Amino acid sequence: MALERDRSEDSRSREVTRRDFIARLAGAGAVTALTGAALVREALAQEAKPAPSDPPGTVPNAQVMAEKSPAMQVHSERPLTASVPAEQHNFAVTPTDRMFIRNNLLTPDIDASKHRLAVKGLVDKELAFSVEELKKAFPNVTLQAMMECAGSGRSAYSPRASGTPWLPTGGMGCPTWTGVRLRDVLAAAGLKPNAAHVAGQGGDFGAVPTAAPVIRSIPLAKAMEPNTLIAWGMNEAPLPKVHGYPLRLVVPGWVGSASTKWLHTLTVLDAPFKGTYMDRSYRIPKHPVRPGDKLPPDAVVTEAWPVKSMITHPAPNAAFKLGKPVLIEGRAWVGEGAIEKVELSFNEGVTWVRAAINAGGDKYAWRIFSYEFYPKTPGYTTVIARATDDRGNTQPMIPPWNPLGYFWNGWHRVGFMVEA
Amino acid sequence: MSCFRKALQAGVAAAAALATAAGIVMAPSSAQEPEPARTLIPGKGSDLTTARCATCHDAQHITRARLSRGEWEYNIQNMIERGAPIAPHEVPVILDYLATYYNRDSAPPAPDPSAAGYGLDAGAGADPAARLITTHACVACHQLDRRLVGPSFREVAARFSGDGAAAEKLAKKIREGGAGNWGNVPMPPHPQLSEADLGQMVGWILRQK
Repeated sequence: MALERDRSEDSRSREVTRRDFIARLAGAGAVTALTGAALVREALAQEAKPAPSDPPGTVPNAQVMAEKSPAMQVHSERPLTASVPAEQHNFAVTPTDRMFIRNNLLTPDIDASKHRLAVKGLVDKELAFSVEELKKAFPNVTLQAMMECAGSGRSAYSPRASGTPWLPTGGMGCPTWTGVRLRDVLAAAGLKPNAAHVAGQGGDFGAVPTAAPVIRSIPLAKAMEPNTLIAWGMNEAPLPKVHGYPLRLVVPGWVGSASTKWLHTLTVLDAPFKGTYMDRSYRIPKHPVRPGDKLPPDAVVTEAWPVKSMITHPAPNAAFKLGKPVLIEGRAWVGEGAIEKVELSFNEGVTWVRAAINAGGDKYAWRIFSYEFYPKTPGYTTVIARATDDRGNTQPMIPPWNPLGYFWNGWHRVGFMVEA
Repeated sequence: MSCFRKALQAGVAAAAALATAAGIVMAPSSAQEPEPARTLIPGKGSDLTTARCATCHDAQHITRARLSRGEWEYNIQNMIERGAPIAPHEVPVILDYLATYYNRDSAPPAPDPSAAGYGLDAGAGADPAARLITTHACVACHQLDRRLVGPSFREVAARFSGDGAAAEKLAKKIREGGAGNWGNVPMPPHPQLSEADLGQMVGWILRQK
């Protein structure tokens, strides 16, 4: 089945914007009568050589970051990538201003009133919805669920893997999402017997008109999972522009690239979509390779995140008084399944103690763990966390190196001072 | 939001307040790595590398990286598939530059501003058709000698080999799209291409036998 490439349409609409701009310049009255030709020449020169940032139809990074917490660290300006360190994750629900940003292209400025979601491919009836129609047509669901970039933690790999240098604990969050179930929408369209994958396509575009559209497909079983949503809300407010306004997929527990932002087309396919964001990126070797090697041809697509945890309190280098308890807190999660236990070590992994875990909430929400630690001696003290899921998988000290630096789930370690 | 979550949030906030009351002192976090340079080291091919990469990326994507030659090669191919306007003859220039100045296994040589312009106009006049293939984003789905979303240019040229009407048939296929003869993704139509560009591109593809 085909996925239409809409980049030519995108470039056409941007072309119109630039031409309008030039026309406005050319017709702007007395001043223009004197310098019109020069202004038009200048505008045409700009058209030929666009500024290296913020093309028409996009939201400038400065505007995106103005709505974010000062705790957000920008890891890459183009494309925009930002996150907070672990100690800024000490919230039950990730606040919107601390939710990580990972764009592949630019942040599009989409008019929600004109936005349409098309459902096509191997369906009995092709459908199209406005955002309001979608909200009314199906039951609305709000749930808390993990979102994490496949490369989250990449900078912990040695040698450093290629790609966005996420902090060892960067690139994840667990806000609430509001939307409709993807399976309800697919059921309304009716699936053909050979339906096997569902591809999401977003309305983001690059600084060059040749930029490939961001398309990724997920297997039908995950598409039909009741927690997989087409969302318009985050933390009970409309999605911010950088997080996919007005519509995005939420494929909880899976690598973030599956959760297409600025979603405008869903295509039902009989096989995984073939394209650069499926085949060249977001893959890991089937069997571990030597650090520094290229991605082998038999690499597999990244899907659910392996079991992982982070310490959100104390902050690195915090200081405490001897004789008082130190509250250790953190978060643990796994892409599919449930957290069974979280263990902590205060002696570099020689012995471990069990942390308390909160009662589970929604299926794909992170779990909060805590432990009251009574230091017996003063000095620099480290705490390490490791989680185990209900399938018997425990976080490794260091996960296998892979060329694109995905799925870092090594032990998180925080040091603090105990003062006499 | 559920009552459970509100209670949980309140609990966490209370715990944080207690912790503060218990006399926690915040120390500055450990020192960050120095910020990577915002421009490339001048050297053979650095201007071309900047011209082709900087449209979509800040230079720090390169200056903070130290990769093996193989990894740089993979990265360049990846970016071409994502639509980077890099012509086939420019690939070795950019690869040599990156693998020389940003290599994991060897220290960079001294900067060489006199060679920075190398490769900027290489081949631009030699084969304008090759550049059209890049500007029109054919390379997002087709490569010279490797099957990607669609067939390689060599495969296409081989299929039409000896066909007197090859140019006409291929032009029609590009303009109107195709039915997925090579895989499960049909060729989308490209009605926006001018006759002149299309003619040159078809000629170039059919020469890649």
